[in-house]
Amino acid sequence: MSSEYAIEAERLTKIYRSRLSRREIRAVDDVSLQVRRGATYGLLGPNGAGKTTFVKMLLSAVHPTSGGARVFGEDASRPEARRPIGYLPENHRFPTYFTGFGMLDFYAALSGLDQATRGKRIPEVFARVGLEEKFGDMRVGKYSKGMLQRLGLAQALIHAPTLLILDEPADGVDPVGRREIRDILTGLEQQGVTIFINSHQLVEVELFCDEVAILCKGKLALSGKVKDLTAGKGYRLAAAQVPDALQQALCAQASLVAARDHGVEFQFPTRELANHAVDLLRSQKCEIESLIPTSSTLEEVFVKAVEQ
Amino acid sequence: MTAIVTAALIRDTFREAFARKIFWALFGLSTVLIAFFIFLMRIDVVEGANATVSLFGHTSGRTTEVRRLVDGAYGGIATFLYTWAMFLAVFASAGLIPSILEPGRIELLLSKPVRRSHILLGRYAGNILVVALNSIYLVLAVWIVFGIKTGIWEQQFLVAILTTVFIFAVLLSIVVLAGVLFDSPAVATMITVGLMIMSPILAQTRIMMKLLSSEWSRDAWRIVYYTLPKVYDIGKITLDIVAGHSAPDAWMPVWSSALFGAAMLSAALFVFSKRNF
Repeated sequence: MSSEYAIEAERLTKIYRSRLSRREIRAVDDVSLQVRRGATYGLLGPNGAGKTTFVKMLLSAVHPTSGGARVFGEDASRPEARRPIGYLPENHRFPTYFTGFGMLDFYAALSGLDQATRGKRIPEVFARVGLEEKFGDMRVGKYSKGMLQRLGLAQALIHAPTLLILDEPADGVDPVGRREIRDILTGLEQQGVTIFINSHQLVEVELFCDEVAILCKGKLALSGKVKDLTAGKGYRLAAAQVPDALQQALCAQASLVAARDHGVEFQFPTRELANHAVDLLRSQKCEIESLIPTSSTLEEVFVKAVEQ
Repeated sequence: MTAIVTAALIRDTFREAFARKIFWALFGLSTVLIAFFIFLMRIDVVEGANATVSLFGHTSGRTTEVRRLVDGAYGGIATFLYTWAMFLAVFASAGLIPSILEPGRIELLLSKPVRRSHILLGRYAGNILVVALNSIYLVLAVWIVFGIKTGIWEQQFLVAILTTVFIFAVLLSIVVLAGVLFDSPAVATMITVGLMIMSPILAQTRIMMKLLSSEWSRDAWRIVYYTLPKVYDIGKITLDIVAGHSAPDAWMPVWSSALFGAAMLSAALFVFSKRNF
């Protein structure tokens, strides 16, 4: 566990071949990415982008065609590499014959926790994910979808993992529940747990993650810190009758310039630059048509990355 | 760690067997059979010795006849256990392997720091234990009932536990392989039951050697016979032992079936380790 990275994927590739036609499907194509220890990382992508296959390769549920992955420096194909991982799959199917406590006991035992530790951890984690103790002896088959999601999170946390891999963690959970899950994850992040989220819910990812990667058709389309990727935030200033010399001066400060029918539109990354531009424009009697604060959301970044 | 994981996997198999009513169905059936012997076998004791024993409407007073009656009953139970109960056990167990391969469940199992072989073998062992406990319960209970009622304690009857569990372990290896290959309880059952049904036919080797005209067809028959598990032969051996007869050629069917089971299980482990989920 000496690596500075929780996850390292090196040219990870998974090719599925149909048995009859031998047609190739590149579910994950030459993806390399690194997730720092303690980071909150979001893996985004449209349906069929290869996100789940990528995650399954980290867990060795899917064998890579080429390339490899390491978890805290350990080869991901080794069972020991999975010891620090807590995983919540999408569309999980917990056996309905379990009670809530029984299920946690089973998965805790598979993680190697002895009986005494299990007995102590189970009610703690159950309460931590917001499930009342009275539901502990209730059959899982009678749980609502939101409760099942919380129970799934509880099984992922039962052995105090240092890397949490969550596939659509807020799926089926109401807004209050989502907020609670986010609070739990924030608490874990503060404890230094690396959190890797695979999600469609861009707003959730934007609110919670420091870094993201966007997969599209199996390839890594974009990756980076959320604040860098959404740096399009700022102010859009539209003005008319702008002299050429001033326009050139403002172009140097603007992040974006576009000619419009009756003038020109500038995008400034900060309020100070926008105010300075207004001062210059007014000093030369230019007409200010509009000044609008703008933001480039992760959704815009996502759509742009996927469309490219 | 290994013991904790193994115990958890076995417990899980039991939980599922309970939930699917498999365990209770086998247990209930055994109980009915035991009750049948408790209430249907009437013994009149005169001056400390068995005067008459009545079973299935047949009454006997002579010791040799009583022993023959007991041996016959033991043989009947061993046959029941070995055939019908085995069919039921295979039907009941066929779902226990594909169920862990269901999407949404297998990923979670594989995400734990446990080898794939450990997961599969844990299920296999749990499944065998479910059937073994029922066999032990039935055979021991019948043996005790007969022992108490007749004073005859024939220990060779207990061999039925070993042979039943052994042949179930061999058949279960086919269920496991078919399960990991096809994810289908129905296919796993069909293949296993098919082999069980073929076994008495294949066991007629001597007759078939005379009937088959060409050498290659006789070779083919021998290859199939020696390769596949000898359910019928081992059943016959069990009956011979239970009846107190010597069992000639006892080892070939046992070791060749064991070898077949080991090969099936190894193939299942290989397939399971290579699969993507």
